[in-house]
Amino acid sequence: MAGGGEIDGGVGVGLPEIPRFSHEAMATIYEVYAVHADQQYAAQAAQAAFDLVDRLERELSRFLPNSDITRINHLDAGESTRVTPSTLECLAIARHMFDLTDGAFDVSIGTGLPSLELVPDESVVRATTRGVQVDLGGIGKGYAVDLMAELLEEWGLHAALVHGGFSSVLALEPPPGRDGWPLTLSDPREPARVLARLSARQTALGASGLRKGDHIVDPRTGRPVRGRLAAWVALPRPDATVPEHGAESPPRAAAAAVTDALTTACMVLEDADVEALCDGSPGLEAWILDGAPSDRDSRLLHFGGEREQETRHG
Amino acid sequence: MADDTTKANAPPPRDDEPKRIGRREVLKGLSTVPALGLFGYAWNRQRHYQQARVEEVAAGAQAPAGVQDVNVALLGAGAQGQVLTDAMLRIPGVRFRAVCDVWTEYNQKRVVNSLKRFKHEVNGYEDYREMLDKEKAIDAVIIATPDFWHSQHTVDCLEAGKHVYCEKEMSNTLEGARKMVAAQRKTGKLLQIGHQRRSNPRYLHCYDKILHEAKMLGRIVTVYGQWNRAVTPDLGAPDRYVIPEARLQQYGFKDMHQFRNWRWYKGKGGGPIVDLGSHQIDIYSWFLGANPSRVMASGGNLYYDPKTHEWYDTVMAVYDFDTPLGPAKAYYQTQTTNGSQGYFENFMGDQGTLLISESEVNYAGQLYRDPNAPAWDEWIQKRYVSAPREQESKGKSDSGAIADVRESVAPDQHTVPVTLRDPYHQPHLQNFFDTVRGKATLNCPADVAYETAVAVLKVNEAIEAKSVLSFTPEEFKV
Repeated sequence: MAGGGEIDGGVGVGLPEIPRFSHEAMATIYEVYAVHADQQYAAQAAQAAFDLVDRLERELSRFLPNSDITRINHLDAGESTRVTPSTLECLAIARHMFDLTDGAFDVSIGTGLPSLELVPDESVVRATTRGVQVDLGGIGKGYAVDLMAELLEEWGLHAALVHGGFSSVLALEPPPGRDGWPLTLSDPREPARVLARLSARQTALGASGLRKGDHIVDPRTGRPVRGRLAAWVALPRPDATVPEHGAESPPRAAAAAVTDALTTACMVLEDADVEALCDGSPGLEAWILDGAPSDRDSRLLHFGGEREQETRHG
Repeated sequence: MADDTTKANAPPPRDDEPKRIGRREVLKGLSTVPALGLFGYAWNRQRHYQQARVEEVAAGAQAPAGVQDVNVALLGAGAQGQVLTDAMLRIPGVRFRAVCDVWTEYNQKRVVNSLKRFKHEVNGYEDYREMLDKEKAIDAVIIATPDFWHSQHTVDCLEAGKHVYCEKEMSNTLEGARKMVAAQRKTGKLLQIGHQRRSNPRYLHCYDKILHEAKMLGRIVTVYGQWNRAVTPDLGAPDRYVIPEARLQQYGFKDMHQFRNWRWYKGKGGGPIVDLGSHQIDIYSWFLGANPSRVMASGGNLYYDPKTHEWYDTVMAVYDFDTPLGPAKAYYQTQTTNGSQGYFENFMGDQGTLLISESEVNYAGQLYRDPNAPAWDEWIQKRYVSAPREQESKGKSDSGAIADVRESVAPDQHTVPVTLRDPYHQPHLQNFFDTVRGKATLNCPADVAYETAVAVLKVNEAIEAKSVLSFTPEEFKV
C-alpha cells in the first residue's frame, strides 16, 4: 500500500488506480484515498481534512509552546485551563481507555492522569496535582483520523480510506465492486513478510510495534516491554450515519482513536487480559506478535473477531 | 508458517498472581461502547464523575469579580473568525451575543452551536445591519469578513456605537482604509486592527528590551523575511452546503469558488503579499522605527490558473527605509509553491542578529552577537536573552594569562527567553478588551495599521509599474 496506486488485495485482484492525497503533520504522513467522480472536488475535500489535522496538531502537540496540551503540562496544582472541544474530547477518550485498560494505556505515562479533571460543559481541564505530563502520541493520530473521516463523509466522500502514518487506518465504504479495502499486517522486522491479509469496511485498524532499537514502556511499571514485537487492533465503526452538520453534541464514531489506544495497551497487557478485552467487546479483534527483535522465532496470536476474515500466512 | 497464527489459548489466570487488570471493567467497558458511540460514553462518564466540580471550576473560567463583561458580536465566522473565537473563549468577561455570516448553513451554524455549548446565548444573522438593529446590547464587534467588506462593516459598526476589532488587511483599498480611520475619529470608538504580533509578548520583548533598551543589534542595516507555503488545491465546499447564487451575488461574489477563494481575486483581497506579507512588513516598520521611503518589487502568477488566481502567487519586494539610525534595506518574499523554511523575520544589525517568527517551535528567537560587539553579560543577567548553552569562562581566570589554551570553544548561542503559551491571537484580543475596559491602550490602532496598509498595498502597484515607487511622509497620514 505504501506505493499507492495499485493495491494487491486479499482476494488477489488488483485495485484500479485510486486517487491518493498526502500531507505531512504530527511528524508523520497522513493520506486520504478517495473515490469520487470529480477529482478536483476530492482534492479539496482531502485538503479540508488536512487543514483539520493541522488545527488538531496546534491543539494537541506537546512540542508546540502554545498548544492546549503544553498548557496542561504546565498547570500547577489547583490551576485550570480552557481547551478546545476537540482537545477535551480526545482527553476524555484517553481517560476512558486508561480506565478500561487499568492504566495499561496511559497518555500521562505514569505521571497521574486521574488527577486531571475534565469539565466538558466548560471545556476546562483542571490539575489537582502538579507534574502531570500528557503525551497524546498514542491516540492523537487515531483521533485525527476519526475526525477526518467525519469531514470526508460530510463532503459526500463515502468510499474512502484515511490513515495517519499507516499506524492508524480507517476504512470507510470500499471502492466500487469491492467488499472492502485490502490491508496487510506484516512483521516489523521484515516488512515483506505478510502475516495476515484483511479486507476492511467501516473498520478502524491500528498498529503498534517495535523496530530495532525502539522500546515501549509499561506505564504501570515504568519498565520496557519485553516479548512483544507488534500488536494490531481492529474495531468496527459504531454507526456510519453522518449527523447533520453542526448538530449539538452528535455521537462520535471514535473507532480509530480507540484502536490507536488499544494497540499500545496490547503491547503491555497479558494475553489473558487481551482475550478478556476482546471477549467482552463485540467486534473487537486483536493480533499480537510475540517474540524478540533479535530472535527469528515468533508467533502471531489472534483474539476476538466475529466478522469473516481471510487470513493468509507467509 | 501456517502455525504463525493460532487462536490464542490463553492459560487460565493463576490465583497466586495479582490481577493486573480488573476483568469486570474490561468486560463491561467496551461492550457498551460501540452501541453508544464512544464519545458519548466517555463524555457522560466524565460528566458524572466530576459533576461536583463543575460549578467550582466554571466560576474560574468566567469573569473574576471586578472584570466588566463585554458583549461581543462576531461578524464573519469563517476560518479566521473561528480562530478568533477559540482565542476569545479563553478571555474572561467576553460574552458572545451574536454571530453573523452569510454562509448560514455551514460556518454560521458551526460557530453558533459551538458558542451555545459554552453557554453563550447567541443569535445567528445573515445580514449585519439586522444584527446591529436588533442586538442593542453589543459593546464590540469582531470583524473577520473578506477584506473588501472590512471598510463598510467597520464604518457601520463604529457609527452604530460599537468598538471594533477588525482583521488585517484593514481594507483592500486605501480609500476604504481612510474611511475607517475617519469613522474611528468621528465616533471616538476604539478600532484595533488584527496585526496580532504587536501584542505578542515575544515580539514586545524584542522591541522593548532587545532593540530599544539594550540595543543589542546595534544599527539594523538589512532585514530579510519570508512566508513560503506549499501548493494547495483551491478551497472548496461540501456539495450540500453550497450557497445559492442569488445570495452570493447579493454579497459581492460571482460564484462559490470566488466566495471561498476571495483572497486571490482583484477587488476582493490582495493575494499572498497582503494575506501573509502584511503581518511581517508591519513588523519591519515597527522594529525599524520608520515607514519605508521606496519599494521595488517583482511578482507574477507563475503557477496557478490566472482565471481563478488574479493576484500574484510569487512576490519578491525590496523596501528602503530611512531609520533614525541610518538607511536600511528590507527584503520580503512570499511564494505559494514550496513551504521551505516557513515564515520568519531576520533583523541584521552591525552588532547582532535577531531571527524571530510567530512560530516559536520553528524559530525560537535566535540571537547572534557579533564577536566584536560589546558583551551581553548585563542583558543575560537581566534575562533579556537566554544564557549561552555552554557557559564558558573565557579567559576570565585570575591567572594573569591572556588565554587558557584548551579545546576549541563554540560561539555563544542565545534565544529570546519569552514564550507565548496562549493561542497566537489571544494577547491582541486581550489588549483590545482591556482597552474597552479602560485599562490599556490599543497596540495596533487604526492610524498605525493604515501606515502598514500603505506600505503593503504599494507592493502590488510596484509589480504592475515595473519600477521603483517612492512614498512621501504625507502618504502615511490620514
